[in-house]
Amino acid sequence: MFRNYLKVAWRNLIRNKSFSVLNIVGLSIGLTVFTLIVLWINFELGFDRFHENQERIYEVNNQYAIEGEIWTWNSTPKAMAPAIKKDYPEVDRVSRYYYDTPFLFSVDEKRIKATGTIVDPDFLHIFSFPLVQGSIESVLSDVNSVVITETFAKKIFGDKDPIGELVKIDNADSFKVTGVLKDLPDNTDFTFEFLVPWDYLIQKDWDDNNWGNNSVATYVKLKENVDFNNFSANIKTLRKNYDKGSPDMETLLYPYSRTYLYSEFENGKEIGGRIELIRMFGFIAAIILLIACINFMNLSTARSEKRAKEVGVRKVMGAPKKYLIYQFLGESMLISSIAALLAFVIILLVLPSFSNLVGKELSIDFTSKEFWLSAIGIILFTGMLAGSYPALYLSAFKPSAVLKGTFHKANTLITPRKVLVVVQFSVAIILITATLIITQQLEKVQDRQLGYAKDNLIYTFIEGDIEKNYGALREELLKSGAATSVTKTSSPITESWSNTWGIEWEGKNENDKTIILRLMADDAVVKTLGLELLEGRDMDLQKYPTDSTAVILNETSVALMGFEDPIGKIVNDNGKKWHVIGVVKDFVFNSPFQKIEPLVIEGAKGWFNVVHMKLNEANTTANNLATIERVYKNYNPEYPFNYDFVDGEYAKKFSDQQITSKLAGLFTLLTILISCLGLFGLASYMAENRIKEVGIRKVLGASVGTIVTLLSKDFLKLVGISILIAIPVSWYYMSNWLEDFAFRITISWWVFAIAGLLTLVIALITVSFQAVKAARANPVKSLRTE
Amino acid sequence: MLLQLRNIFKWVQQGGQRIFLLKDINLEVQEGEFISIMGPSGSGKSTLLNVIGMLDTFDEGEYDFLSESVHTLKEKYRSNLYKEYIGFVFQSYHLLDDLTVEENLEMPLLYKKIKSSERKALVADMLDRFSIVGKKDLFPTQLSGGQQQLVGVARALIGKPKLILADEPTGNLNSQQSEEIMQLFKKLNKEEGVTIIQVTHSEKNAAYGSRIINLLDGRKI
Repeated sequence: MFRNYLKVAWRNLIRNKSFSVLNIVGLSIGLTVFTLIVLWINFELGFDRFHENQERIYEVNNQYAIEGEIWTWNSTPKAMAPAIKKDYPEVDRVSRYYYDTPFLFSVDEKRIKATGTIVDPDFLHIFSFPLVQGSIESVLSDVNSVVITETFAKKIFGDKDPIGELVKIDNADSFKVTGVLKDLPDNTDFTFEFLVPWDYLIQKDWDDNNWGNNSVATYVKLKENVDFNNFSANIKTLRKNYDKGSPDMETLLYPYSRTYLYSEFENGKEIGGRIELIRMFGFIAAIILLIACINFMNLSTARSEKRAKEVGVRKVMGAPKKYLIYQFLGESMLISSIAALLAFVIILLVLPSFSNLVGKELSIDFTSKEFWLSAIGIILFTGMLAGSYPALYLSAFKPSAVLKGTFHKANTLITPRKVLVVVQFSVAIILITATLIITQQLEKVQDRQLGYAKDNLIYTFIEGDIEKNYGALREELLKSGAATSVTKTSSPITESWSNTWGIEWEGKNENDKTIILRLMADDAVVKTLGLELLEGRDMDLQKYPTDSTAVILNETSVALMGFEDPIGKIVNDNGKKWHVIGVVKDFVFNSPFQKIEPLVIEGAKGWFNVVHMKLNEANTTANNLATIERVYKNYNPEYPFNYDFVDGEYAKKFSDQQITSKLAGLFTLLTILISCLGLFGLASYMAENRIKEVGIRKVLGASVGTIVTLLSKDFLKLVGISILIAIPVSWYYMSNWLEDFAFRITISWWVFAIAGLLTLVIALITVSFQAVKAARANPVKSLRTE
Repeated sequence: MLLQLRNIFKWVQQGGQRIFLLKDINLEVQEGEFISIMGPSGSGKSTLLNVIGMLDTFDEGEYDFLSESVHTLKEKYRSNLYKEYIGFVFQSYHLLDDLTVEENLEMPLLYKKIKSSERKALVADMLDRFSIVGKKDLFPTQLSGGQQQLVGVARALIGKPKLILADEPTGNLNSQQSEEIMQLFKKLNKEEGVTIIQVTHSEKNAAYGSRIINLLDGRKI
């Protein structure tokens, strides 16, 4: 029996080559897209979920009500961890995590920069980063011990056993390698190449007990069987005993496993985060697979007249309906298996480029049972989904009707098929509008007036001897003609590293806790960064030595502070009085998608991490960089010269949105392609079934044009309905999507007009191809066959 | 007695009016009869045949087949009944184009859940009997009309039915092919005692039967 089914199914496939190709290609594109997205989602969902005790690991967050709105953030005071350890016996392990910092490693003559951080010894007990060499109990117990990853060990020591080797860090302190970590997996947020014990920080006198300085991450692992609800209520008020400045600030434990996907907070509540993107694409994956299945259903039922006879004969020969359902389901399984095989080949081919596109190293684990089970599951599911409707539809034919030859149901589009076409095209239109709107939004933000000149602007981090030699370095850079202007700042112009609600000014409302961004700059900041000065002047230490306590405000902070005539006004910050010397036009400091926040640029009395340089446009960039490198080598010989271009760094802010936009575009194209494959098939069957009608009409004098119209009209009507359905849906969802951006486009009507028109034209081309063919056929031939 | 129809009515509703396809049909068929149903187009010949073959339902009346009351049977039992006892032969043969001659013959046996070895034997037997062994691997489109109908008859016979229903079996054949098929029917009826009911337009073919039933506008005359 089974062999018989298979034989018939196979012969059917071979006999109706165009039908089979349409079906298989459509289905395999659907399966490919579905699988790729699922692989990506799987990767994202597995992010940082491999820690053995993950359900007991928490990130310490702060919550504070400012102006009636609750803010949540995850940087904590350095003193937080010892306090937790002392007061809360429920906590098993606790570790601080200093921010990722680049350090210079030197061994003999070798100099290698690596990014790593400073942690408490408990860190390796909390997170599962296994050691290849060294003991977890002792690797971080000595002040001058360092744990490095395998790859980094290879880089610095080659094939030599690294354990016990000495390295010099930042040209200052000698460290002994006590442990080697297995390389961190791709799916973790941590990126360190080495770890140094917290004692080193104390030794360097970088530790502090200031509860107002929230700058490090703190992680805890609870003991087993601790009731989390009780405990979190308990720890909420931790700051009461320690933090004089803000005793009411709440301490919140946030499950570490949720940080990657969810950690976006609004008013104290989790509102999602990356998970939304994942849900969106998961939805798209399901929809594309559904559309591919719809194609299959449509084509199969459209072909029903051809198979009606077979159903009738089989029934007369005694086939129960059940058997016929099995038979047709079996056929769709066969098709879905072939499609899956094809999809599999395509996936193997495109997986590297797709990985590249989403920026994640995706792979298929062929050895895993889950992979094979889900592959079989998908084939069965697709086969069932695609085959169920045709199977039920075909098996319900009455033999007496189909065998008499009075069976002509398929002449026009019947209702369920219409519904399916409408669903397909609605989705296509929604995706087109979404792509258009995402692209528009991205372009608008990319074209946004930055407020500073990002071209020919580079920055370097202050490291080694630069701090010591800064004055001379700056002089020589300017003299060399490679840089036209140089300024020292607290952070790169593309990243805001510091903010506060502690700034005070005359007339400030006591309850005003608006957060103000901080940038420090010693000299010529307006000139170097190319800011637009609205009032006052640039910092100029040469001419005005008091500029070391000068401050420049942006428009938004002038508005916030309510200064009518800002120049000369005094603001207090960090226990210093800063006098306003200028006002600059608002510029984008954080995310270009958001609105501009108030900002102060404080003078030379601040702290500095970065040097910005405006390159001389009269020379080539390569020349400028060579000159600057020479100067740097002079003043900071131990360190390799590393720099970043501001425009390059700025472009990185768009990477997430660019991926979204590219993926949306890609999926739209594929959806349209699949839908058109289906429409093409449907149109060809319809043209075939109406061949007699066309013949009669032609004999009676109809022109090719009228017949093409007649045959296309039905389909275009459906596309019209799809447009009507798609527009409100897509308007609703895209408005929601845009809500996330403070700086955004307004949706214009022509987006929908373009999407509708585009779909209509594509559908028309697809359908009319068949319609014209049918209309031009010789009527004598078509009528004779009856 | 093989089957009995009592006061069978069948109608369709058209524009608020009943159009009768069959009107008060009474018919008794004994085993071993060879009956020809005749009548002009639209007189209800095929409908009557379909009712007898249980492919079509009727609206009123009673139908006994081998002392089972067909009109009270559920669909499933009805299909079991005709699967077991009735073979069909069609004007346009209705062989499955995707199956070879051999596979076409085998198909009804599949639905009777007959074991593979037994199926093979029955098919071989039938091929032999109809002298079409040489054609067993051909597809229907590779055969002439007469040969196709020969396969059609063989397929109807393979399940060893008591009754063969033939709806204009020679309608698409030339005179020589017709003759052959009718001779075959006659032989089957005579030598194997298979009951045959055929619908035909041709007086000549009708004459092969032992009894002629004439229909006009759904009524027996």
